[in-house]
Amino acid sequence: MSFCQKCKLVPGTILLRLRDLYCNDCFLTNVSHKFRACIGKNRILTQNENVLICLNGGLGSTILLNLVLNGLALNNHKKLLITPVFFHLIGTEENKSFTKLLIEQCMNQNYDINLCHISEYMIKIKSKPKLNHIPERNEEAHVEMKKKLSDMSSSTRNDYLAKIKRELFICYAKELQCNSIFTAETSTTLAIKLISNLSLGRGSQVQHDIGFCDNRNEVKILRPIKDITLEEIQHYITISQLTPLNVRHAQEYSLQSVAKLFVNDLQQNFQSTISTICKTAEKIGIQNENKHKIKCLICESGINKNQCKLTALEATNYSKIVSMAQQESTSGIGSPIEQQFSMFPHVNKYLCYACSKNYSEMKSTVPLNI
Amino acid sequence: MPVLCRTGCGEKAVLKRPKTGDALCKNCFYHAFETEIHYTITKGELFNKGESVAIAASGGKDSTVLAHVMKTLNKRYEYGLNLMLLSIDEGITGYRDDSLETVKQNRDDYEMPLKILSYKDLYGWTMDEIVAQIGRKNNCTFCGVFRRQALDRGAAMLNVKCIATGHNADDIAETVLMNVLRGDIARLKRCTSISTGSEGTIPRVKPLKYTYEKEIVMYAHYKKLVYFSTECVFAPNAYRGHARALLKDMEKIRPSCIMDIIYSGETMAVKEDVSLPTQRLCVRCKFVSSQEVCKACVLLEGLNKGLPRLGIGKSSKAKKMLEEYNSKLEHSAKERAIQDLNDHKVINGSDKCSSKGKSCKSGLCKSKKKYTEIDNHVNKCCNSDCSGRCKCNQSNDKENEGNTKINTLLEQYGINESSNDSGIDQNKLDVPNNDIVEDLLNQEEDPCSGSCGKMGSLQIGF
Repeated sequence: MSFCQKCKLVPGTILLRLRDLYCNDCFLTNVSHKFRACIGKNRILTQNENVLICLNGGLGSTILLNLVLNGLALNNHKKLLITPVFFHLIGTEENKSFTKLLIEQCMNQNYDINLCHISEYMIKIKSKPKLNHIPERNEEAHVEMKKKLSDMSSSTRNDYLAKIKRELFICYAKELQCNSIFTAETSTTLAIKLISNLSLGRGSQVQHDIGFCDNRNEVKILRPIKDITLEEIQHYITISQLTPLNVRHAQEYSLQSVAKLFVNDLQQNFQSTISTICKTAEKIGIQNENKHKIKCLICESGINKNQCKLTALEATNYSKIVSMAQQESTSGIGSPIEQQFSMFPHVNKYLCYACSKNYSEMKSTVPLNI
Repeated sequence: MPVLCRTGCGEKAVLKRPKTGDALCKNCFYHAFETEIHYTITKGELFNKGESVAIAASGGKDSTVLAHVMKTLNKRYEYGLNLMLLSIDEGITGYRDDSLETVKQNRDDYEMPLKILSYKDLYGWTMDEIVAQIGRKNNCTFCGVFRRQALDRGAAMLNVKCIATGHNADDIAETVLMNVLRGDIARLKRCTSISTGSEGTIPRVKPLKYTYEKEIVMYAHYKKLVYFSTECVFAPNAYRGHARALLKDMEKIRPSCIMDIIYSGETMAVKEDVSLPTQRLCVRCKFVSSQEVCKACVLLEGLNKGLPRLGIGKSSKAKKMLEEYNSKLEHSAKERAIQDLNDHKVINGSDKCSSKGKSCKSGLCKSKKKYTEIDNHVNKCCNSDCSGRCKCNQSNDKENEGNTKINTLLEQYGINESSNDSGIDQNKLDVPNNDIVEDLLNQEEDPCSGSCGKMGSLQIGF
């Protein structure tokens, strides 16, 4: 029998990446070390500060809850010094029994959870989050939100929903006096997110969307379990006998679903796929970070104006012009016709490339002051 | 009622552009296609007036269309460029030998001088011989590295100011994805730039950077350009295939994602604290390299020493391999000396691996044998009497393949009834168009002349 490669005392029980054998104890220590190291080495949190911890009941969220509670329960110098504020955003399609289960999951640990509807995004003056109860839904906003989302293609909807959630998390973090937010994104989800973000034209935003810290707003979004893979999470849940809720993911055919399928398939054959993708993401930064004066109204990313002589943005717009107008009238580049037919409304003025593209798919207006 | 051209010229539309979703007639498509490339060339400041430019020609669709469009635009907009064709003969039987005939056709059609350089002349090895050594995996590494340098050498011989390559938008998007998957941050940084090359080197430019592969195929098809459409016989095992499969799947969902990926690559920056390799000149061959000795030299050294895997994988492995090899050489030299003293004429077993005709126990030589056998078989087949029929079959296959390719393309982007039914088009065109494409195809005697039919018949001749 082979022994755990870490302690070399006990027979190994868990095989990771088809290669590394660990015993239960070493494995659990390793996972929680990854979580603590991620927070520790970045030195972003101050002592006992309020942290909004976003939960959705899924695998990542369940493990994040467990790791935070374990850290708080410690009585030595390693005690996790934060004040957690648990929070859940209720989706438009989520049924009440699911939300109740999530509340139970938190209450069982003697912690309160704040709840809000995602459709609050449509309302200017947002209602306060409710503690341990499902808040009343604004039906008008709910219908409007559903309509808006159903008008979009599935790829755009996924991307747009992520931006809405980000904005609402920040908004409620401020409401609940938190300066930082924890989200439960794993290295697997982040690798998938990198591939889908690239395909959406968000290459310049990788550092904020995939990295440990998103500091586009004064409220920082942190991803403390970004070094833990889905494989590790599944083992952790089995060993610790946790009960994640069954989060229903829409099975629509989208850029994101294709990226997910691809990464998971490649990971089967090349065990280092996810870690390579994440390592690549860590090396990607932002062009002239301090020079950004304009920010995208939807995703708050800095807008870089005309760094290159020619980018895919100009090329696409030019393609549109030459395929719209008759031959004689296309001779003048930069004519008013260019504005009229642009495939990217408000781009580089109010919106970034990808958000502008999303915006062009929206039929109803957005709550933007454009 | 037929769908009319989006520009309002009054003509019937023949295709829907994958990039913008607009339906265009043949002439407006030509105009849009060419004008866009002109826009890329002028906006990207790719050339200066009066320069000599080498077009890297493989005989494939991209380089054929590039040569055609460059010639057209050079005349139309008076670039004043002196254009010539530059081809590299890798020595791949059943692929490059045939495609070079197409390049020669291009030379005659477009009246441009042509220069062909072969791996055999430059490096002493053909790709067939290299594959016999290395096997079916990793051989693209050799081919790619050698071609890069071969193009530089060719350009220097032709005394041109820059090399134009036929990389299209799909190729570039694919490369972005592949470099992310491989974690190659240095290449990720430079793969989207339209013009590459540092001081002292001949820059490469990509005029088709924003042109979709699909449109290139359509353009060549409608213009009835002669090109060679077979995938390289050694390519299927390349890692690039994964990135390509992903891109194709994504493109089905949102055709514009190719441009979006390119935009991502263009606006991406590498963090300042990440160390990147610096470009310098190889100490041995004096061509561009990121290392002291360039990859081409390492690979070549490996081949010549009978260690074909020398340049594959980490450089630390290469060092180890070389050390082993040197100690082995020393060892065998010693033994030989002893044997000579003893008047024995038996050659040491450890030496056998590197010398050709001897039997060998290591895996490397086994694989070599196997592939030489395959090559022999191929050669036999081609040289014997059946060659005519043999090639005929091949070209027939190609014809069919090419035909299905253009047909699927036309199904997706050509406008006819079936495209409406297929449900692939997001913005469905309401009005079915009566068999424009089919008519088009029927007008020609050979349904595949644009993509490969003519090629097929040409091949038989050769």
